[in-house]
Amino acid sequence: MVFAQPWLLLGALAALIPLAVHLFDRRKPRPQPFAAIAFVLRSQRRTASRLKLKRIVLYTLRTLILLAIPLALARPELRRPGTAVAHAEGPAATALVVDRGLAMRFQDGESLFERARDEARSALASLGIDDPVTVVPCGPEVVPPAAPGLNRSEARDTLDRMRPAWAAPDLGHCLEVAARVLEESPVAGKRIVLISAFIAGTLRPETPPPLVRGAGDKRIRPDLVLRDVARGRRMLNNHFLAEVKAEPAPQSGARGVQIAFTVRNVSDAPAHEVQASLELGGRVLAKTFLELAAGATVQKTLVVRAETGGTVAGAVTLTTDGLAEDDRRDFVVQVPRELKILVVDGAPSPVRYRDEVFFLEAALGAPSSPLRPVVRDVEAGLRERFEAYDVVVLANVPAPPAEDVARLRAFVESGGGLLISAGDKVEPEAWNARMGELLPRPLRLVKSAGTGTGEAEGRLARLGDMRWDSQIFAPFSGKAREGLLGARFSRYMLVEGGTRADGSEVLAAYDDGAPAFVSARRGGGRVLLYTATLDRDWGDLAIRTSYLPLMQRAVAWLAGALDERERLEGRVGRTLVLHPDPQTAVRTVQSPSGVEVPVSIEADHSLRVGPLPEPGLYRPLDASGQLVVGSQFTAALDPADSDLTRLDEAQLQAYFGEEAVRGPAGTAERRVPLWTWLVVGAALAFFFEGLLLRKP
Amino acid sequence: MELLDAATLAKLAGVKVRARAVMEGVLSGLHKSPHQGQSVEFSEHKEYAPGDELRHLDWKAFGKLDRYYVKRYEHETNLKATLVVDASGSMGYRSGALSKLEVATTLAGALAYLLVRQQDAAGLSVVTRNGFADVPPRAAPGHLHAVLGALEALQPAGGTDLYAAAEHLAERVRRGGLVLVFSDLFDDRDDALSRVLALRARRNDVAVFHVLDPAELEFPFDDPTLFLSMEDERRLEVNAREIRQSYLEEFEAFLARTRAACTEADVDYLLVRTDEPLDAVLLRFLGRREERA
Repeated sequence: MVFAQPWLLLGALAALIPLAVHLFDRRKPRPQPFAAIAFVLRSQRRTASRLKLKRIVLYTLRTLILLAIPLALARPELRRPGTAVAHAEGPAATALVVDRGLAMRFQDGESLFERARDEARSALASLGIDDPVTVVPCGPEVVPPAAPGLNRSEARDTLDRMRPAWAAPDLGHCLEVAARVLEESPVAGKRIVLISAFIAGTLRPETPPPLVRGAGDKRIRPDLVLRDVARGRRMLNNHFLAEVKAEPAPQSGARGVQIAFTVRNVSDAPAHEVQASLELGGRVLAKTFLELAAGATVQKTLVVRAETGGTVAGAVTLTTDGLAEDDRRDFVVQVPRELKILVVDGAPSPVRYRDEVFFLEAALGAPSSPLRPVVRDVEAGLRERFEAYDVVVLANVPAPPAEDVARLRAFVESGGGLLISAGDKVEPEAWNARMGELLPRPLRLVKSAGTGTGEAEGRLARLGDMRWDSQIFAPFSGKAREGLLGARFSRYMLVEGGTRADGSEVLAAYDDGAPAFVSARRGGGRVLLYTATLDRDWGDLAIRTSYLPLMQRAVAWLAGALDERERLEGRVGRTLVLHPDPQTAVRTVQSPSGVEVPVSIEADHSLRVGPLPEPGLYRPLDASGQLVVGSQFTAALDPADSDLTRLDEAQLQAYFGEEAVRGPAGTAERRVPLWTWLVVGAALAFFFEGLLLRKP
Repeated sequence: MELLDAATLAKLAGVKVRARAVMEGVLSGLHKSPHQGQSVEFSEHKEYAPGDELRHLDWKAFGKLDRYYVKRYEHETNLKATLVVDASGSMGYRSGALSKLEVATTLAGALAYLLVRQQDAAGLSVVTRNGFADVPPRAAPGHLHAVLGALEALQPAGGTDLYAAAEHLAERVRRGGLVLVFSDLFDDRDDALSRVLALRARRNDVAVFHVLDPAELEFPFDDPTLFLSMEDERRLEVNAREIRQSYLEEFEAFLARTRAACTEADVDYLLVRTDEPLDAVLLRFLGRREERA
């Protein structure tokens, strides 16, 4: 605190007057004989404590009055560091650049954003009345503000309306915008006040500090005043979820889901017992505790079982720290649903292992498999309601009657899967005649490749030309692939030649080029023809280790369960392109906070959603406002923005210059005049003193 | 009618003169005195029985009827009034021309004049520091000088003990008498007033002249004042202005309590300010008596 007229402080001695009067002015009271002294005594007893308090208050008020007046006359001012921005060299157009990036959401007692806003208001108040001013909210996107003006309320309104963003800003770009807008002011002086937490990722050292066009188009550097809202902290300790990956885990059961998440601790201190809880379908299903060393990255995988299949939303949440916004990450996962398979057994046998579908049933019905096979003989199988199943397997079945073929065709065209395997019961002519429309390619005849014993073994057929990139064979690699290729076939059904134009595709062929697996799309469904038997009659594939995954993959592919799922996660601030089923009619998308997000439908029926305004779960809605099932998606923060390491003083000085960082001598203080408050205080004390004196 | 104000009365030396002046003022203000005429009036005849006083035998009736009858009267004797005057130290207080004791003695003297003038008996009982001084009630005109002389000789001193005074009177005053109390009623004992009022329960007619100084009623002090007790050694230095409101509340409560107690006990209560004309006080008193009668 400084005084403009310090010698007037001598007047403060007047505050001793009430004390002196109290001590020395002992006037002799007038003696008064009085008959009703009993009443005087009683009154005095009744009012003594109140009067004593009143006397003390009066004494205090009088002392304050006599103290405040000389103090006010001495013109005291409070000098507060870090808030004054005005220089003494006359008016200057000023741009208040206020960081509103993700880091400003950090809670340090209060949020850094609120602190920055207070700093901005304080800076605004300390400007001279002839300093034009504008406010530049500095977020991931920067809207050029209005030219600097003398209207303070406009600037205050901008500050009031400002909200923290969900991503890091580019301070260099914000300064550039501020410099451009300052050029619009005719005032010669130019000044930029940058209020920020100065996170390392927000400033690119390679971008030079902005210059402003001055008199004669000369580029000059504006006065730069930096206000650090995280003063005194080397870094803002923050742990956060860098990534969450959710995928089906069939090894853990039909609805098993595996969530792998990565947690980073960007801080100079370890974080102990950080709780991570996993929520799926609205319920917390698992919790775990993490020990995070300083600067460590930890990966954790949790496997849980979802209650329902289909598209399920979930979230991983960490114990919150200063920046709570990046301690939760939502995700959407496609939980595999159970598939019902109707297996029509064309060659049943009382001897289990001689049964046509013995190996197939064992492969499909393996524990933890989401497939549920139901085996029927031909007569019963063809009477079944195919619509109740996802896939129908015709294993060495004679050509079905025409009415069953019609039902099968309807089943496939409406999205069902059909697996046809060859065998002794399959007569090519009858099949071609009745099932020609469903078969990927017409059957021709059965070819014998050898006996499988002795010298003839060398003539046994093997799988040769494989489409390893197809969804069925894609997982086979290494030994699994070798196992598949090691299968031997003594007989197989030859098919007519064809092209992709007829919708058929050979996924695997024997080493002589004859197709082994031929696929085709029929309407909304798929058909797969396997030209050998599903048991050991025509080959030994059924006893190979690759048989089980091959059959499971084949059936899952037929049911459409292997279709590539698009990644249902976007990034905050960006747009997300979705490819929903054309039959679904997404009209709007609702953000986690209920705000409607812009949606545009592209020519290829894809949906362009965004920019996504906030992290969390987004809900696409149809025309009636109902959620379009299975279409939810999430938006996540950029993990890079959660690294709150701050620029150190040397880096700031290297970029902005020493004067901007330390503040020019004599100007880095804000002078707050106190004398007006003293006068107000004295007036109030005078008023209350009068009030007390009036009251008996 | 021209009333005698306190300042004028104060110029008259001695209780006798003041009392007479007040009494004459009162007489001139009465249009028709309820106390004029014979106070002993014939009521009825009663046949003589052994034990009756022979002097009341109606000889004329015996002559006419040849039988003995005794005359009976409405009042067997004169009214016996006892004037009780508080002469404690507090009664010596004055802020104006007359002290409370001077007002009390003047009123008592004037009433003694009136009583004797209508052939009632007037006595005096003075409550002093040293006990009680009594002048027995008599109706003889010469007795008036004794009463007035005793009043004139009174000097305020000592504390107030109304309770003891009431006890003393209870022994002295016969049933059916008139007791007139002149006091400021400043007594530390809470039950003193009720003991005085208890005299009424013995079929005595009791009237209280509550004599107070205007300064006691209004507390007109402003500066820091050292209040001294007039009856003992109590003293208190206080800023009078600060406690004025509280004092007035306390005093008003005291007056209200006193007034209520008198009303409840069917005792005539008169608040007498020492600065008001005393003949007006007496007229007010007599008027109220007439209403009661």
